Amino acid sequence: MLNNIIAWLDDRTALPTITRRFLDRPVPVNKRWGHALGFALLTTLIVDLITGLLLMTTYSPSSTMAWGSVYYITYQMDAGWFVRGLHRYASYGAVILGGLYLFRLVLVGAYRAPKEMHWWLASAVLLLILVAGVSGNVLPWDQRGYWAAIVETNMAGGTPIIGPMLKKVILGGSQAGSQTLTRFYGLHVALIPSLMLFCGWVFAMLFVFRRRADDETVLTEPYWPHQSCCDIALASLTVALICALTVATHGYSLDAPADPSSDDYPARPEWYFLPLNLLVHEMAGREYIATMVVPGVATTGLFLLPLVAKLLPRKLGSALAFLFISTLAIAALSLTGTAIYRDFESTSYRIAREKADTARDRAIQLARDGIPPEGDSYVLSRDPLHHGGKMFEKKCLGCHPFGGQVQGEPSAPDLKDFGTRTWIRGLLEKPTSDAYFGKVPILDGMKTWKESSKLSPAELDAIADFVATFATIDPEVSPADWYAAPTTKNHPGYTLFQKNCVDCHTMGDPSQAEKKTQPSPDLFGWGSPRWTSRMIKNPSRSTHYGHLEADQKMPAFADQLTENDISALVRYIRGDYTPPPPPAPVAPTSK
Amino acid sequence: MPTRRGFYRFLSMLGGNTVAIAMAVPGVRFLLDPLTKKGQERNLLSLARLSQLQPGKPQAFSIIEEKQDAWVKYPKEPVGSVWLVRQPDGAKEKVLAFSAECPHLSCSVTLSNDRQGFQCPCHGAMFGLDGAKKNAVSPRGMDGLEVDLSDDPDPVISVRFARFQPQSAEKKSLA
Ligand code: FES
Repeated sequence: MLNNIIAWLDDRTALPTITRRFLDRPVPVNKRWGHALGFALLTTLIVDLITGLLLMTTYSPSSTMAWGSVYYITYQMDAGWFVRGLHRYASYGAVILGGLYLFRLVLVGAYRAPKEMHWWLASAVLLLILVAGVSGNVLPWDQRGYWAAIVETNMAGGTPIIGPMLKKVILGGSQAGSQTLTRFYGLHVALIPSLMLFCGWVFAMLFVFRRRADDETVLTEPYWPHQSCCDIALASLTVALICALTVATHGYSLDAPADPSSDDYPARPEWYFLPLNLLVHEMAGREYIATMVVPGVATTGLFLLPLVAKLLPRKLGSALAFLFISTLAIAALSLTGTAIYRDFESTSYRIAREKADTARDRAIQLARDGIPPEGDSYVLSRDPLHHGGKMFEKKCLGCHPFGGQVQGEPSAPDLKDFGTRTWIRGLLEKPTSDAYFGKVPILDGMKTWKESSKLSPAELDAIADFVATFATIDPEVSPADWYAAPTTKNHPGYTLFQKNCVDCHTMGDPSQAEKKTQPSPDLFGWGSPRWTSRMIKNPSRSTHYGHLEADQKMPAFADQLTENDISALVRYIRGDYTPPPPPAPVAPTSK
Repeated sequence: MPTRRGFYRFLSMLGGNTVAIAMAVPGVRFLLDPLTKKGQERNLLSLARLSQLQPGKPQAFSIIEEKQDAWVKYPKEPVGSVWLVRQPDGAKEKVLAFSAECPHLSCSVTLSNDRQGFQCPCHGAMFGLDGAKKNAVSPRGMDGLEVDLSDDPDPVISVRFARFQPQSAEKKSLA
């Protein structure tokens, strides 16, 4: 029965015969492992092809959604981390095996006639693998991919004459954005695989099906089953290593979403471009050596090798080829080593990387609750802890300490927990402490009050409790209504507050300020988002610190911060955010 | 002597090449489309008041503006940042403004650890507080930006943000 089917198939298509001929084709017995190396390379490419197709079923090539989809693949989908890890590490495998394959071709002189085609195809495939790596690295649109794209396209932009235009065409605009990602995506999933398949097809046509009888003196044997066994052995070893690496690192890590405004992300390329990156550093002022000359010479050298070998005496040619490829290999290895060692040694790299890791862990923590439809970057830019903290460091820390953390010489109160009971209770206890008005001699109102006040700790507690409720006053409620409400009147702190505080502080009616003993901020809604954001936007309001002289006032930040910045700041100060995860989350470590 | 076969050969070549060119023209134009797009004009943006800055202590300010990215219009958000450095009293320029984009390959330049200059985390370019380059990594000093001070007693500092071509010794504006 089966035989009948096969016979029929053979009659109509000749496929069984072709397969048999393919398996029985004579292969030389003296280069088993060289052959197997090529087969292992093919295997990594096939793994990449299949995992790539799988990833495409979920990945979304949009600069607003790419990170989210990769997050989903890595952290939410069943086996997602594994598939993505395989895809990345198989490409590393392809880079290494491709390099080894070329190296072996040089050793056995397989760039000479009649094998030139073989050499050229192998070189082309290695270059395609590298381009695939560069473009693939950009696709998650995380900090790593984004900044790698910036640095790499700027390198291309350094090409004489056409550079700037080239950069614009690659980026799809003058800035990296939506079209950058779609372009890299098209390159990565369509153009490069097609070119590779084309190379593979030519290769098969030339060397597998229509094998040139290049060296008749060599002993041959059928491919099946001895050679095939060697092939499978090396390929399985490769796949096993890739799987092991994936499991050991729990997939490949995902950095925080791309943030063009981040100001200290330590951009690093994929490891196989570290040598060039280091050269860029070393060739200061003459980057073109690293970005143009070295890669240019290396690729031209690869492609010209068969022709050069033709011109030179055989011995000299082999020696030169060997010298060329081993110089490349040794230079690449030692530069990679140096680059890694330097980063390992450098404190500023470590600090910057730690910051990037914190941002990454936070983004991944928050993404669990879903990513806003506006895009990935909002995961962090709306987070009070991340974004508010960043804003505080940039705008406030110069004068205000935060929980004891300072930058330069503080000249204003510590704002940690400002607007909460903790803060107000501390103030009532010791207004002259450095955390309150100790560093602001001009604001001596509380100090004067404290000197004459004889309130017991319990009474101070009651006042603090009462003041802490101001932050929750509904902004729609008028001061009169609020005063009339029973919850206000019956509060244990109410009478004490009325007796002790309103001599100086108005409550929602700044026109009364004239009658007060000492001009002081209005406390109606103190600590609420509205009160604090008004303070940040314009401290000179009559309800806040309008009574101070111009040079004593805190600057107004209305122009310098967006609404989002301010609300993040306010919540950051109050500690009103999802707490960060306990240390050591189960996240893949970054390389 | 034109033959029938010669004529067919000519016709095949002509037809094939015409179709190929007819397809290539729109294709190439499509790919090169970014070259036809112009960058946006920028206005002066007020960033801070003079009193907010202390001489010799650089501060970073975000450039907040709307951004059109191909088909997406982003609301106001930071698109870049600048460093403002106040000069000692009596200096001709009261404030210097530098784009935080590294002239080397466009990473963001930050304050150096000792706060006495700037450095870039990517390839280690160093700059002085005056923006001059301190090592050979960057092809030029940090890019100064146009600064405008209002006439108030405490002047408002405005800056016109711009981008420049990285990797060139000359400061060339990027449209
Ligand atoms: S990008 Fe700043 S040093 Fe290279």
